[in-house]
Amino acid sequence: MTVAAEVRAHLRRHVRPVLPMLGAVAVGFGVCGLIALWVGLSPSLMFRQLLEGAVEGPQLFETIARAVPLVGMTLAASVSLRAGIVNLGAEGQLALGGCATAVVALYFPAPDLVRLAMALTAGMVVGASYAALAAAGEIYAGVPVLLSTWLLTYPAKGLCGFLVRTSLRDPSTAWPSTARIAVGTRLGRLIPGTPINQGLLLIAAVAVAVIFIDRRSVVGFELRLRGLNERFARYGGVALRRQTLGVMLASGAIAGLVGAIMVLGSQFRYTDGALTAPQYAWSGTLAALLAGGEPAGSVIAAVLFAALQTGGFAMERSVQIPRVLTMVLQSVVILFLAMRGAIWKRP
Amino acid sequence: MAFLEMIDIVKRYPGVTANDHVDLAVERGEIHALMGENGAGKSTLMSILYGLQSPDEGYIRLKGSTLLLRSPLDAIAHGIGMVHQAFRLFESLSVWENVVYQREPRRGIFVDGARACAEVEELARRHGLPIDPKARVANLPVGVRQRLEILKALYREARVLILDEPTAVLTPAEVANLFTVLRSLAAAGCTILFVTHKLNEVMAVSHRITVLRDGRVSERLVTAQTDPGEIVRAMTGRAVTPQIPKQPRAPGHVKLEARGLVVEKDGRRAVDEVSLQVRGGEIVGIAGVAGNGQSELIEALIGLMPIARGSVLLAGRDVTCESVAVHRASGLSYIAEDRARTATAATASATDNLAMGFHRSAPLARNGLLQPKALRSWARGLIERFDIKIASEDTPVGTLSGGNLQKIVSARELAHNAPVLIAEQPTRGVDVGAVAFIHAELLNVRDRGHGVLLVSAELSEILALADRILVMYEGRIAAEFARAQADEATLGLYMAGGTRP
Repeated sequence: MTVAAEVRAHLRRHVRPVLPMLGAVAVGFGVCGLIALWVGLSPSLMFRQLLEGAVEGPQLFETIARAVPLVGMTLAASVSLRAGIVNLGAEGQLALGGCATAVVALYFPAPDLVRLAMALTAGMVVGASYAALAAAGEIYAGVPVLLSTWLLTYPAKGLCGFLVRTSLRDPSTAWPSTARIAVGTRLGRLIPGTPINQGLLLIAAVAVAVIFIDRRSVVGFELRLRGLNERFARYGGVALRRQTLGVMLASGAIAGLVGAIMVLGSQFRYTDGALTAPQYAWSGTLAALLAGGEPAGSVIAAVLFAALQTGGFAMERSVQIPRVLTMVLQSVVILFLAMRGAIWKRP
Repeated sequence: MAFLEMIDIVKRYPGVTANDHVDLAVERGEIHALMGENGAGKSTLMSILYGLQSPDEGYIRLKGSTLLLRSPLDAIAHGIGMVHQAFRLFESLSVWENVVYQREPRRGIFVDGARACAEVEELARRHGLPIDPKARVANLPVGVRQRLEILKALYREARVLILDEPTAVLTPAEVANLFTVLRSLAAAGCTILFVTHKLNEVMAVSHRITVLRDGRVSERLVTAQTDPGEIVRAMTGRAVTPQIPKQPRAPGHVKLEARGLVVEKDGRRAVDEVSLQVRGGEIVGIAGVAGNGQSELIEALIGLMPIARGSVLLAGRDVTCESVAVHRASGLSYIAEDRARTATAATASATDNLAMGFHRSAPLARNGLLQPKALRSWARGLIERFDIKIASEDTPVGTLSGGNLQKIVSARELAHNAPVLIAEQPTRGVDVGAVAFIHAELLNVRDRGHGVLLVSAELSEILALADRILVMYEGRIAAEFARAQADEATLGLYMAGGTRP
């Protein structure tokens, strides 16, 4: 192969798949710029505020802190999406995982570090079990995972809300929440003076593991090929039911871990609705969709979304441009990405 | 000037020139055969003529005027009709509804059903295509559905009719019938383009032949002045020895067994009490017209379809109702008929497609991790051995022609070297040279003492390879023959639902 052909092959393999994503992001920014013009705002001011709000000085730490749970929820979504399975119940798994973590961190009688480890494990196990319930529903009763995960979100959030209003309630606060978790059982600050905690390391480790498994392992190969053609995977001897269960266990465990990190790393208690209010599960699903389930791309998309969201908050504060515009941007990006198939196929 | 001309047609796809300055000229009332190996460019040329693709260079002239075909609608408007290999019919509607669709005779805003029905009946009578206009398509046998496809084209006043591999799904009697129809259509002034691989059919029905090779016209022949040998040489560039002699072999132990198998589909018994045995060292052929329960039988044997009653044993182990994974682990490989939907993932690379099933064990994987270098050389090895025409092993297989895709599937499943091989239409759409190669490989599997269950709509294939032949008709085994007792006429009789005279 000549050098030129080598370069072309390299571009085809590594760059071309990313082009539609970049195109969709560009169009998204374009549309938002037009909206800004239309309502009489300066697009350049808006984008500068957005960028500064996302990465300038301490804002960069805010973005990173937000990226940790968002990347986590994105990985939870991408693990299942890669196999063509849609887990719409990550929010419920997140809430239950966080709640279980709080219970263990508050009441499990053990030395601090052991309790911390147990609390993290509890979050993952509960999140995984709850997701596995949906998988079992599909395997044994034929209820589609798409439907059951979504519907199971409400009982999960309801149960947690009930517990923090009754047996777990800390009467000293006005909010329905548990007691405060002791300092020794918290995840410490990674960089002092910033909101970044050790959860960053945990999520980074999960990201590396997911990307490695996806690219190099037999498990990842079977997931990817199922996502491309489920019937082919079955014909080729992939045990689909076991795979469904495994995918949901992994996806739920990651969601539960994010809940645990939020409780142990930044909130220090489980407060009703506090874990789900930022809607990381939805942003995560969108980010994973943006990259078609490919985990490395999903992580990049998630970091981009985190930056957009922090930038959006800052923009709203400093120049009174409503941050809903950043949500519009996210949506437009996804819509254009979904459209490209039809646009590009035309001769 | 010819009636229909395709002039200097060029069509390029990434990495391959499918049509490289092709000229095709067909006279009015002629039956013109278009032949060539896989990837020779036949399908591309015909999809250009039918407006499904637009050529990069060149143009089409009908009666001397140039046509611009942006879609099949344009082609139909100019009187060009096509009967695809896979029929395009509304199964739940009646024959007349399918025929008049989008050209319904109307009364006010309503479809004039009575008039449409009468028109279809008259059209069918005029062209010698007997059909009941009120019948539901779902209840029609394949041969009649094809008649309906031809009627659809004729109702749209087709003066040029393209038939893509029209005989693949027909019994010998239905083929003879189709040829009669084609001859009378041609005599009535209809121009027919007939795409096929089958030499005897071309010799029987065509007037002239255009042979494509590697995207170029390699030969233009007049049927009356040529012979099959010359056509094969034009298609392949070499003379092909048709068949490897088969060594006699005593069959060994039973490797695959079905007992009283019943498979239900859409509320009826698609497979009805089928029992069969495949022994090591033998090829058992299942003959039958497509749609008589063969696909359902095979899918039940491999575990893709639920079994209502009966049992399946693989090497003595009961695998009834187990997953495909268990079947494969017990020593079964399977060349599936539906190569695009079942046997490959179109958007995945050749490497991924060829690795499937081998991806769990050494050398392709170690300790649960894939070995990229081993994967690559595995794919390259199979691509080379089976002479698969593909730009590189990273290319998605969805871009391949049907025959090359078939080679991907056959290459992978033959490489398993499993004690039982189920081969369903293993050479459909594959070129002459590759057919001989795949046949030799199947015999090789048998000679190594493995059992082969071969399902084929090609009687010649069954007769060339099988040691024992079962005929399926309406879900049952209608007859069983040792190879020596079977001949085309007897098998054809049972395939059509007849019994021994």
